Amino acid sequence: MDAILQIVITGLTLGSMYALGSVGLALTYGTMGMFNMAHGVFMTFGAYASYTAATLWGVPLPFAILLGVMAGGFIGASMHLFIVRFMLHREDFQTTIMVATAGVAILFQDLILKQFGAYPFKQPAQIEGLYRIGNTVVTYQSLAIMATAAVLISAMAWLLTKTRFGLAIRATAMNQDAAKLMGVKTELTYLQVMIIAGTLAAAAGILISSLASLSPAMGTNPLIRAFVICVVAGLGSVTGAGLAAIALGVMEAAIGYYFGVRYGFPVMLGLVILVLIFKPAGLFGKQGVVRA
Amino acid sequence: MTENSKTNKLASRRGFLKTAGLGSIGGVAAASLGTAASAQSGEPIVIGGPIQMTGGGAADGIEFKQGLEMAAEEINAAGGILGRPVKIVVADTESGGDDKITSAGQRLIDRDGASALITGYNFGSQVALQNVAADASVIYMHADTARAHTSLVGGDPEKYWSSFMYCPSEVFYGFAYLNFIKNLEETGQFTGANKKIALVTGPIQYSINIANSIKEEAAKYGYEISLYETVEAPTNDWGPTLAKIREDEPGFIVITHFFPGDQAQFMKQFLTNPTNSLVYLQYGASLAAFRDIAEEASEDVLYATNIGVLSGDVGTDFTARYLAKYGEKASANGGAQTYEALHMFAQAAAMAGGVGEAYDDVQNKKIADRLRTMIYRGPTGTIRFNPETQQAYSYPVETNDPSLGMSHIFSQIEKKEENGKIISPTPYGVTEFRTPKWIKS
Repeated sequence: MDAILQIVITGLTLGSMYALGSVGLALTYGTMGMFNMAHGVFMTFGAYASYTAATLWGVPLPFAILLGVMAGGFIGASMHLFIVRFMLHREDFQTTIMVATAGVAILFQDLILKQFGAYPFKQPAQIEGLYRIGNTVVTYQSLAIMATAAVLISAMAWLLTKTRFGLAIRATAMNQDAAKLMGVKTELTYLQVMIIAGTLAAAAGILISSLASLSPAMGTNPLIRAFVICVVAGLGSVTGAGLAAIALGVMEAAIGYYFGVRYGFPVMLGLVILVLIFKPAGLFGKQGVVRA
Repeated sequence: MTENSKTNKLASRRGFLKTAGLGSIGGVAAASLGTAASAQSGEPIVIGGPIQMTGGGAADGIEFKQGLEMAAEEINAAGGILGRPVKIVVADTESGGDDKITSAGQRLIDRDGASALITGYNFGSQVALQNVAADASVIYMHADTARAHTSLVGGDPEKYWSSFMYCPSEVFYGFAYLNFIKNLEETGQFTGANKKIALVTGPIQYSINIANSIKEEAAKYGYEISLYETVEAPTNDWGPTLAKIREDEPGFIVITHFFPGDQAQFMKQFLTNPTNSLVYLQYGASLAAFRDIAEEASEDVLYATNIGVLSGDVGTDFTARYLAKYGEKASANGGAQTYEALHMFAQAAAMAGGVGEAYDDVQNKKIADRLRTMIYRGPTGTIRFNPETQQAYSYPVETNDPSLGMSHIFSQIEKKEENGKIISPTPYGVTEFRTPKWIKS
């Protein structure tokens, strides 16, 4: 019983981090058809921004976290304004944007390395303390990760389904020209999507680094997992990405316990292959449309 | 395999360390064999550092680069190598595999004109740079701690005459660890809850080899392996592994996956609900990054290294100078490795009559001959190469004379603010083992 509880707690913690990392990726793909290879470095950027504010500038931790999240939004906006909007209307956008964002990822990773070095700094966003359920321990840090992910993803789902802003995003994703004819400022929508994706990625980066440490390459591993999750869910499905992330997190923890930790990620990759063979559009429907 | 008695330890330690320190100071002076004035005018000797400056091994890589730079400054201040100043050029191996490592080494030789390659450790198969060095006839000194080097060089000494591993291989960690815990139990310093060892290793060959050597030898020492788990890097959440450990409580936990951040997370998560287990973390816990991240959870952890800075005049002096130069967060254990390797190379080169360019196998073979026969005492102890495998001898595993082998030291962290204190072997121990505070009985 203790083991099962431990698997669930570990799985939910991992899944929450994966979910935050993948919904932003799903959103940009669903809206713009853009697979953002710099999504991982957005996470890194947010984590380092939060660390810098709290540790080097002495900003109180809640504000430092907020600054870190805002930094993610800022880098998302910058990427749109300086790169993406110039490429959006090209025929081969889906391919060229991958190359461009991969270049941005390498550049930013190197800049972070240049500025901070490779020393694995500790993320100050830590919550001490624990709660016991029988013989199993749940740390407040894990609870905070789950709660943060739940709040942000719920807010995201609400935004997409219940607001005019979300309607504009979904309309733009379905048909950009039709959305324009209906009065939607699609350029602005794309910018907003990039800001949201950057914000979510930064939040994920802060949470991931709170359970690991800061390093310029810290976004690489979560990006690969986010990609796996998006493929399993169906590229573009935001809620699907969130649910798939939780499911895969629990599955990884269970495989780690019953078969060995080293089998967790390979099984996830095997699942991607199966999904691509038997349900190429993913478990949650069609490609190319943002779905709450 | 031998350990002197505790009573002899205290009596002999001070005198031995004093002598060792004097030997090293003399050695540093001998490295120059030139004048400060001529060092300014000679053609620079380029020493290439194929070092992991980014990725998982970067925490150590930074120290390796600093160690090289510090040694170069000292050598140049003392007149260089026969009047020629030493210039360090580093190429990033990105904590990558053989492709990255090989291209970094080749680039240093072909583009930067490196006459020798000196580094700490790299990942990959750990036999990549030996081939680069053999092809270019340059001296290559490394601390990969790899049995792969021993097999490669020992198997074909004609081809790999230029490659030297200035520390023992990782397989000694297995014997030494088992010997260490058995000694703790036999001397009454610690009694394990049982004879079970939970072994957790990582994806790097070094970690796997150490885990396997413990697994293979455990029964001979009266222990059994209750868990053999392989984790990936990075591992942030240790939940499944800890669940298994808690389900079948072992008397001893050994983590050979050596990334300091991952080890720190293990300790933090382990201590939320600890078992009565003695925790040993391979190498990573010796780095400041581990204590920074783990904080209080780092205390009472045991770790070992067969190339760590020793107590006594030489080690203490080096540590003080290193930390003064690179800050309190720097790790002298990492920097000392390349620092002493470069000093040793400089001495050998000076004795051989100078450094040859790449592909000058005549002159560089003379340096290899000197390296093969000399004894160098640096901050981490004595480097003396086995002439057949060109691997440093281990003390106390291969020799019971600490002046003839690199010490395999066991340390325990007392305070999160300080490096661990050496508890073994004689004569370097500065404190006694203490039972970790999480062990209840």
